[in-house]
Amino acid sequence: MMATPRDHSARYDELLPAYALGALDGEELREIEEHIATGCPECRRQIPLWQSDLEALAASVDPVEPSAETRERILRLADGPRSVAPTPFPAAPRPLPARSQPPRWLALAAAVLLAVAVWGVWQQARLRTEAESLRAERARLAEQVAALDRRLAEAQGDNERLAETLSLITAPGARAVQLAGLGSNPGAVGHTFINHSQKKAIVYAFGLAALPADKTYELWWIDAGGRPVPAGTFNVDANGSARVLVDKVEGADGIKAWAVTTEPAGGVPQPTGEMVLKG
Amino acid sequence: MRRIGAGDSAALAEVFDAHSPLVLGLLFRILGRRSEAEEVLQEVFLQVWTQAGRYDPDRASPRGWILMLARSRALDRLRRRESSRRREQEVSGQAEFLSVHPLGTERLEAAERRSQITSALSLLSTEQRHCIELAFFEGLTHTQIAERLQAPLGTVKSRILLGMNKLRQTLSA
Repeated sequence: MMATPRDHSARYDELLPAYALGALDGEELREIEEHIATGCPECRRQIPLWQSDLEALAASVDPVEPSAETRERILRLADGPRSVAPTPFPAAPRPLPARSQPPRWLALAAAVLLAVAVWGVWQQARLRTEAESLRAERARLAEQVAALDRRLAEAQGDNERLAETLSLITAPGARAVQLAGLGSNPGAVGHTFINHSQKKAIVYAFGLAALPADKTYELWWIDAGGRPVPAGTFNVDANGSARVLVDKVEGADGIKAWAVTTEPAGGVPQPTGEMVLKG
Repeated sequence: MRRIGAGDSAALAEVFDAHSPLVLGLLFRILGRRSEAEEVLQEVFLQVWTQAGRYDPDRASPRGWILMLARSRALDRLRRRESSRRREQEVSGQAEFLSVHPLGTERLEAAERRSQITSALSLLSTEQRHCIELAFFEGLTHTQIAERLQAPLGTVKSRILLGMNKLRQTLSA
């Protein structure tokens, strides 16, 4: 709703002194400005009076005599040939040339130097942080490389074992023997591959129970004379599986059977314990 | 002022000699730095030289017009300046009334007027005077003064209103 000049009230009398002083803000400032904009004659009368009081306030300060230099600069400007200026009365005042003060380029150069110095310090801090993070990254990468090396070595080992197994079981004359679970391990199974020419055998066992630390599984073959020959001891992994490579299988042609028994840790020359696999 | 508007440099010299000490005093009071105050003084008189044609004798005396130009420029400069340190210093202390010894000559008339104003100001309470000075010399609003003094907004408003009214009464008496 637009106010009319008749609306001038005590409210505006209260706002005018602070308005003239420039102390109003927010809603009050908007309020008085809207009111003044209606052309209120009372405000038009009062504002110059308040301004005159403020001029008095401005004039209450202690005078300070300007330096001769300042006076000279200002009057030189007025005396100077007007043709020097692009227009006789520039609309916006411009700073006067400060001849006796350090030249502007010097201030600029100082500012540039300061900026460069600040940038340098900042850059140094940034580089230090970067170097730290790079060192951490390098350590992390070194660990990764070591881990990969280990995995590669494992993979190479696996690969070699697979190649060995493959060459063993695919060689001419290779023979496979199935082993079946016995006694307390009825679900266990095994496969034995024998390579006569290489005198090697490889035995896979599955489904065997894990043994206490003082026990071990021992592999045997039964030779042509019916005697058990020890072929090595082994333990199973968490899945109950094992893989045993047997070198130097003597009298492979005459082997009658393969067997696995449970024996004291370290193995024994003659089977004493329970037979868990046979075939 | 009319002569200045017409490009009379002698008139500018007269006006400068008559009013520059007070104008510089005001600039120094607002800016607190002599060199900066002199710099702004040059800007103010350059503005007087170039814009004297805009001066309206019905609205203000030449001195009043120049003082208001100076205050406006100085407050602009003050707002632009990174003045946090100076302001912080003033928060903790009481109102700082810069004491500047007058240099050189000043007209007797001006001196009398100044003494009249000084005595009018002395009738205000310290708080009223401080609030008015913060608004006038530092360009602060009600809200900013309340924050600066950590005083209730309503208190600041009433100090300014009562102070301004008392100033009016004393000056017009």
